Amino acid sequence: MPQDMPPTGGYAQVQYKRNIPARGFKPAYYMIGMHVIMAYGFYKYFHGVREQRELAREKMWSRLHLTPLLQAEEDRDQVRRHYADKAREKELLGTDAKVYNSDRFIRPTFAYTPANLTQ
Amino acid sequence: MAQRDARFNQTVLVDTTPMPDHIPKVEEIGATSAPLMSASYFIGDRCKAFNDDFMKCKDVANGRGEIDCLKEGRKVTRCAASVIKDINTHCLDQFKAHWECLENNNHQLWECRRAEMQLNNCVFDKLGLKKTIPGTPEGQIPVHLRPKQKYAQYPGPQW
Repeated sequence: MPQDMPPTGGYAQVQYKRNIPARGFKPAYYMIGMHVIMAYGFYKYFHGVREQRELAREKMWSRLHLTPLLQAEEDRDQVRRHYADKAREKELLGTDAKVYNSDRFIRPTFAYTPANLTQ
Repeated sequence: MAQRDARFNQTVLVDTTPMPDHIPKVEEIGATSAPLMSASYFIGDRCKAFNDDFMKCKDVANGRGEIDCLKEGRKVTRCAASVIKDINTHCLDQFKAHWECLENNNHQLWECRRAEMQLNNCVFDKLGLKKTIPGTPEGQIPVHLRPKQKYAQYPGPQW
């Protein structure tokens, strides 16, 4: 039995290449374009961040100028309650009882609740 | 210690005992957050000495600042009240426009540059108080004087 051989003159060429033209620009141009867009974005972003920083500074100083005022008001309220508490303790106990072994001002742990609705 | 105010959700119970007589009385500032924010830089300009004095007193009082610094605290409150009073006398319209703008814009200063500019000019003309932001980098226009505000709803020229 004769062996199966290629046809005489060899096989025909197999068409494996697609004959389509390359679209668009060279890849390097897309790379450059991407970087240009990114550079613009970062430029705007950094300017935005700088403005945000200044706005934060403005807000912070606005609060800093008010802090002593608000703190003074709060302190007065605390002192008023402190003296009221001391007066009530004196009335109940008869003496000036010192609860803490310290002369710091200590905010009360428990709030006094008046017997009647106050507000 | 208990740094939180006591909260009661069923009724409002407040200790209304008045301040003892040996402590001089002072009228509280009584302004809400938006007018205070609007006037803050003017308060800071006129009352810097009193503010610094009060904070210094609290700092060195070694934990007794609440009682020992009442005198400085009264000065701070009186000074701030004087600023608010002066602004109300001389620049009421601009002041009102600005703090109502702040109130409507989530207290964002950059939304109200137009009203702020008018208020600042009026206050500077009538009272001589100037808004300056400490720590602004050299060679930059301070943010409150820039005509364009990047973060405002309308970012173009504000006035």
